[in-house]
Amino acid sequence: MSTLHVLSHSPFTDTRLSSCLRLLGSADGLLLCGDAAYALQPNTAVYNELGARSDLKLYVLEEDLQARGLELPTWARAVDYPGFVELSIEHDKVNTWL
Amino acid sequence: MGKSLLLISRQAPWSGPGAREALDIVLAGGAFDLPIGLLFLDDGVLQLAPGQKAPLLRQKDLSANLQALALFGVDELFACSASLAARGLDSAALNLDAVQLLNAPELAGIIDRFDQVITL
Amino acid sequence: MAAVLSIESVMKFAIALFSAAHAPSSRRALLFAQAALAGGHEIVRLFFYQDGVYNAANSIVTPQDEQNLPREWRDFVEQHQLDGVVCIAAALRRGVLNADEAQRYQRTAVSVEAPWELSGLGQLHDAVQAADRLICFGGA
Repeated sequence: MSTLHVLSHSPFTDTRLSSCLRLLGSADGLLLCGDAAYALQPNTAVYNELGARSDLKLYVLEEDLQARGLELPTWARAVDYPGFVELSIEHDKVNTWL
Repeated sequence: MGKSLLLISRQAPWSGPGAREALDIVLAGGAFDLPIGLLFLDDGVLQLAPGQKAPLLRQKDLSANLQALALFGVDELFACSASLAARGLDSAALNLDAVQLLNAPELAGIIDRFDQVITL
Repeated sequence: MAAVLSIESVMKFAIALFSAAHAPSSRRALLFAQAALAGGHEIVRLFFYQDGVYNAANSIVTPQDEQNLPREWRDFVEQHQLDGVVCIAAALRRGVLNADEAQRYQRTAVSVEAPWELSGLGQLHDAVQAADRLICFGGA
């Protein structure tokens, strides 16, 4: 069983990402959308924490990464909307942190 | 039996309509006899704090809705122990009975037990 | 070992939207919905809850140079003949009324009309039961 978690809040002001990481199953995926893409800002604690989790399937919505002028780290994958749809099918369910 | 749905409620009782509207989804599901679970996480555990006086804020008292859960057949109730502890709440003195407390490893598995999930 | 051709099956999606039209997540929901249909999948229902009800309001005025999401949602639903349901309790609370409700509550503003339908949370549960995947959009 695996869940795709979807986050869209900035990790600097909001606790959803840290709560999500507590709840994450070993086969789960995590898709960063909107301001959650700022988690890929280098030289931040959240960036280091995500990078250290070698077993985490981390994705970011391409438009949000590019709009914010962020680089894609080797340990994350960028997806477009068709890719987002596919991810939602690959996992058994989608949990958006509203 | 039908697909099971887990609602993860993360808002304090009067932070906006979130807590109330999450409960409404749960009660509607119960009314239709669907298998529904409810997890109180983060500020959501504040809905379980004793001694609340919602009328002082002209807010709806959600504890009545919480007591209705059992009547609607919703008995899969969970609360995150760490969220309770972080907010100074005594897990033995909650305003709702039969809430299963989940620690970190149990929390990771809870979503897997349900077919669908909504985190409000 | 025989090679198996994997045929991607058609998935049924229930899409629930919780944020207002100006929220980035509302635009994201529409783009996801469009991609789902373009990928050959089905949308069982669009369900608007909490501030998502504002996406069904015809009273929203968008500057010419900005994306008019309420209109784009409406066009999308009409073009693909989708089931677009707005939670009636959430809508009333936010002043988003159709003609029937405006008359019932003696209000002057009617902001919901076809293709949007005002209905209860039962429709959300019904969609969750019918769909292979429930995807929610909202928050930021």
